[in-house]
Amino acid sequence: MSDSSPLIQARGIQRSYPVGDRTLEILHGVDLDLFPGERLCLMGASGTGKTTLLNILGLLDRPTQGQVHVVGRNGWALSTAERARLRNAHIGYVFQFYHLFAELTALENAMLPAMIQHGPLGYLGKRKVYKERALELLHRFGLSARLKHRPGKLSGGEQQRVAIARSLLLDPPIMIADEPTGNLDQATGEKVLELLFEEQERRGLGLLLVTHDENLGTRCDRVLRMVDGLIQGEERHTREAPSEAEA
Amino acid sequence: MYRFFLSLRYIRMRPINWIGTLSIFVAVSALILILAIMSGFLEKSREHLRGHLSDLVVAPSFDLPVRQTGAMLTREVQPMMDTVLAHPSVVAAAPQLVWYGMLVPPRREGVLSDPSSMGMVMVSFVGIDPQLEYAATSLRKDLEIEEKHLFGARPDDLDDPFAYPKNYEPDPDERPLDTILMGESLAKAWGLHKGQTLELATATIDPETGAFDQTANRKVLLAGTFRSTFNEMDLQRVYMDRRALGDWLGRYDEYSQVVVKLADYERDAETAKVELRRDLAAQNVLHPAPESLGDPDYPWELLTWEDNRRSMLAAIENERALLGIMLGLVLLVAGFGVFAILSMMVSEKRRDIGILSALGATPKGILSLFLSIGGLEALVGTVLGVIAGVYAAIYIDPFEQWLSRVFGIQIFDRSIYYFDHIPTVIEWTGIVAIAVAAIAVALIAAAIPALRAAYLNPVDALRYE
Repeated sequence: MSDSSPLIQARGIQRSYPVGDRTLEILHGVDLDLFPGERLCLMGASGTGKTTLLNILGLLDRPTQGQVHVVGRNGWALSTAERARLRNAHIGYVFQFYHLFAELTALENAMLPAMIQHGPLGYLGKRKVYKERALELLHRFGLSARLKHRPGKLSGGEQQRVAIARSLLLDPPIMIADEPTGNLDQATGEKVLELLFEEQERRGLGLLLVTHDENLGTRCDRVLRMVDGLIQGEERHTREAPSEAEA
Repeated sequence: MYRFFLSLRYIRMRPINWIGTLSIFVAVSALILILAIMSGFLEKSREHLRGHLSDLVVAPSFDLPVRQTGAMLTREVQPMMDTVLAHPSVVAAAPQLVWYGMLVPPRREGVLSDPSSMGMVMVSFVGIDPQLEYAATSLRKDLEIEEKHLFGARPDDLDDPFAYPKNYEPDPDERPLDTILMGESLAKAWGLHKGQTLELATATIDPETGAFDQTANRKVLLAGTFRSTFNEMDLQRVYMDRRALGDWLGRYDEYSQVVVKLADYERDAETAKVELRRDLAAQNVLHPAPESLGDPDYPWELLTWEDNRRSMLAAIENERALLGIMLGLVLLVAGFGVFAILSMMVSEKRRDIGILSALGATPKGILSLFLSIGGLEALVGTVLGVIAGVYAAIYIDPFEQWLSRVFGIQIFDRSIYYFDHIPTVIEWTGIVAIAVAAIAVALIAAAIPALRAAYLNPVDALRYE
């Protein structure tokens, strides 16, 4: 974990939704920092506001109150287009349900962030570089034989590995993972997690991980526990290697 | 880049998207074909309406004094012809002497003594100089008819259409008969044949008193028939030699009107009208131009063939306008197809839209992604529709014959028209307008679901499973 300035700095985050005549308060004023190279784990029971907080920190959902700074920029003070560019260049997402495009091959899915970043001419000029980068990631993730396969022909673990490759293509400093193993069996989930941690380590990413798995906490630098829309506890750990059984 | 890449991939991978393309294709090809056929029929209608009418008709009102000078117009034909032919846009002109009367068919001879008889036909007698008339109107072509049935009979000598038929032998004891040409329809209606004699009857004006009280009958010989495209004209018009008609009527006028052919009617008609009016008025053979176009007492005297058929042509134009509205509705239906398919796609692809937002796509980018899909569908549908529509318009006859054979019904009944093929006119401006309108309608239809996609909340979209 680094002592440098945070990649994500959230202060006083509140989020409420109107439900009929009432207002449903989800987050009640959350403060959170994610530092470069930090592995931060967000835990809590269902309905405590973890995913809502993740969406706000990932600049997908606007907080009712509070501010989110991403790499030093106030995310919700930016225009929609600037915010989208900030998301594209600095945040990699990994979702529980992989969220790959069914019409694209594994390689094309992995290259999608680069297509979003550039216009046709800019992309075509750098396509070779991005393709090599995507191929290198997919080879490393053991998907060399699956490059031209569409998601429907891939297993859950393979799909999640493609999703991780996609999130890493543009080499973002932040990775947000929302229960990345939640849809996988234990063995496969552990492999995916290993891969995720390995890349986080290698690249010095700030990783924000939402999970229900208590065992994971010991492998993170910090664990934040959410209860009823508030962070009620913080644990700091020295990272452990995965147990033999987990491995 | 992703918007083009994904739009192409979505179109390729989701066959249902081709329904939008198909609806545009069907609409565009059908519109082009309908437009071509309707334009063909309208053009034939115009030709039909025109009949023998020349480009311009100059018909001086001899009995009306010139308002500015009080003088009467010159009645001699030569100054009129010289001035008309001197105009650079005029390629030919022919004088006509026009009068009205009745045709008494052979079996009804003597019916004038029985005023209650309905056995007579009102006709207009048109005295012509054949060679001049051939040059200025389509008469020669209309005389060269195929003799399809008993009553159609072209004159034996087209260069001298009023010559006696070869097998006719004049009675040396009688005054030589004048000859006439009449419409094939009229001959058919009254059972008249080439070489048959019949009687014409009319009333004339007494040159001394101006009284319209002189009756005149004349026995004539039918020298041939013509068939123009305007059946009503064929039923009402009888051609005679201009001098023979003048002699019969005892008229002091050499002519009633001059028919004029222009080098390029579309280009020259309006200019020639104004300039001829000016030149002819200067020669005192026509009244000068009116001071205002709304002058109700003003004799028009100089009319294009379209002026003569104004109300019928206006009806045709009205049909064209109505057709345009109907065609517009077909495009709207096609646009609805694109709208429905894209709306369905946006609903199905909510999650993809959320992923794109999470990966950094802007609302503008997502908007253009779905607009690209609508635009590509429209473009492919339009291009294929134009090709198919033009092809079908060109090969409509073999296509119609094939359909008739397959279904055993006669789709286009050739016997009820003057033409033996389905007339089509390929109007490229109309085709371009249809293509542009199809793409515009498709883009507008695509814009509604595309906007919905662009402003979808990414959190809601990602939650969608």
